[in-house]
Amino acid sequence: MDVAKNFPLVIILILFIGAFIMPLLKNKIYNKAFSLMTIGISSVLSLITLVYVNRYGTFLYRVGHWDSPWGIELSIGILEAIMSLLLTSVAFVISWYSVYTIEKEIKDNKVCFYYTLINILVGALLGIVYTNDLFNAFVFIEVSAIAACGIIVVKDKKENIKATLKYLILSSVGSGLVLMGIAFIYSITGNLNMTFINKELSQTFMAYENSILISLGLFTIGLGIKSAMYPLHVWLPDAHSNAPSTSSAMLSALVLKAYVIFYIKILYRMFGEEIISQFPILLFMVLILGSLGMIMGSILAILQKDIKRVIAYSSVAQMGYIFFGIGLGNTIGLVSTFFHILNHAIIKSALFLTVGSMIEKTGQKKLFALKGIGKEMPITLGLFTVSALSMVGIPILPGFISKFNFAIGSIKGGKSIFVVVILISSLLNALYYFPIVINGYFGEENLEGKVFKSKEKTIKELMPILVLIIAALILGASSNKIIEMISNGVEVF
Amino acid sequence: MNTIVLIEIGKILIPIIQIFGIYVIFFGHLSPGGGFAGGTIIGTSLILYRIIFGNKKAAKKLGFKRLMRLTCGSLIFYGVLKGYSFITGGAHIHAPQISLGSPGSILSGGYILPLNIAVGIVVAITIYFLFCLFYEGEI
Repeated sequence: MDVAKNFPLVIILILFIGAFIMPLLKNKIYNKAFSLMTIGISSVLSLITLVYVNRYGTFLYRVGHWDSPWGIELSIGILEAIMSLLLTSVAFVISWYSVYTIEKEIKDNKVCFYYTLINILVGALLGIVYTNDLFNAFVFIEVSAIAACGIIVVKDKKENIKATLKYLILSSVGSGLVLMGIAFIYSITGNLNMTFINKELSQTFMAYENSILISLGLFTIGLGIKSAMYPLHVWLPDAHSNAPSTSSAMLSALVLKAYVIFYIKILYRMFGEEIISQFPILLFMVLILGSLGMIMGSILAILQKDIKRVIAYSSVAQMGYIFFGIGLGNTIGLVSTFFHILNHAIIKSALFLTVGSMIEKTGQKKLFALKGIGKEMPITLGLFTVSALSMVGIPILPGFISKFNFAIGSIKGGKSIFVVVILISSLLNALYYFPIVINGYFGEENLEGKVFKSKEKTIKELMPILVLIIAALILGASSNKIIEMISNGVEVF
Repeated sequence: MNTIVLIEIGKILIPIIQIFGIYVIFFGHLSPGGGFAGGTIIGTSLILYRIIFGNKKAAKKLGFKRLMRLTCGSLIFYGVLKGYSFITGGAHIHAPQISLGSPGSILSGGYILPLNIAVGIVVAITIYFLFCLFYEGEI
């Protein structure tokens, strides 16, 4: 069974090499099939890796012929395996949906480049998740930033170019800060491998307190920009609302998450709990910014008039939850952060895809124009409703479980006051999701002149969203097992 | 730009630039240089060709499809070769590797030379594409 140790590297290779086979294929249909095939194979391999890791424990894999302080190393534990399964399978479902709709949003000659970019993006994100080497992670961060910009600008409209430039500039600032943080750490420890850095730092950190604090700050802000921590989220609404809906789903569900994983790795694998506890201000700041994001993201979402911007701002709020969990600084906080990452990736991609199909069929983006949509597209709005309920946190759905765990975490961490923040944020969530649903299904004047099921998509095209919703339900129903698995993973992280 | 001086000088200059670029790529593992530097040099020669002879003649020799095929081919070659090296190294398989050769000769350094050639091709074409996109808006 040792063959399974090669799978993470094989996945990255398949995705990257597959990306460059695509421009050589003549037909769009081959492109789509090939992209689906490569991402599908990688999700199967991720599943096998997860099973392997679950049985035999974490393993390190050296890349190339040199051992770890010199060569690059991948480190695959349960959390990495879960994340890679999540990334590849959600990317697979989103690409499956895009097969039916992508020509309606982007030009025909760009289709092959779109799938090339998707493959590169997923590969780079997996690289960030797997790697145990700081500089390797930085390279993958840059690759993913460029690929992410690519899938926004591929629509080739004026506002897309503007949003992409904004994203490109801010995300370059972010990666610049990360690089500076790496430079600080490298000059202190002389290593780029996270395990070795941890060894060096645990002996000498007292001598370099300021440098360590500065580099911690640089990593926090740099990765905060990339994963839309609250006051640094300014690029997100433009980028996510202007991109093609499959790209928005990909960006919101996957791209933001990989950087969070990298951040957690930096905090707990590289610096270690001992050093982090020396600087309580850092986690407290993350906690405060997370709570601010939870509330302000929701308030800003209420003020929006464009349905895609509502969901984009909702992403800011949900990233707030994720940073909130990191900021709690205890095991339960981290576990619920991971669970929320799973939950948000699945639910948010379902939301973006349903909204994308509403916009595609009606041609309207504004909230007031989408009133009465429930009569024209009842199944689509039904799927939207289930996802919205999960976002708000109705029991059985995964959103409830992650919020419940966040609450438990904040009580156990002695920060019970923050339970109020979670409650307020949930109520605010309800305030912007429910009007869309209620105005969609009910109201005499809303439903006037609408024909039942007149704009509904075929069941074949709705299947991907249905799969996502079913996955969310399974995630909610079997949350005990999954949380147990994640806590096993967090212990050996 | 159809001046006779430009064309005649271009005819002499372009091959020299290209030979220098190839030299930089092929000696990348022995001296300063390598795939990226050599690739840019070859890329400038392609740009010069396009400026001097115009886009119609350039499109005949440097068609978009042909260059795209070349780039993707090199990238796939790079991925497969390096992936082979990575996996045989990571899994501790004693599979045949490219020999290291005698130090100082061109055919030495194992994987570096073939990978440098692939990088050089990709960089040359990318530089050319970038120029075309900014200069005329199309390739």
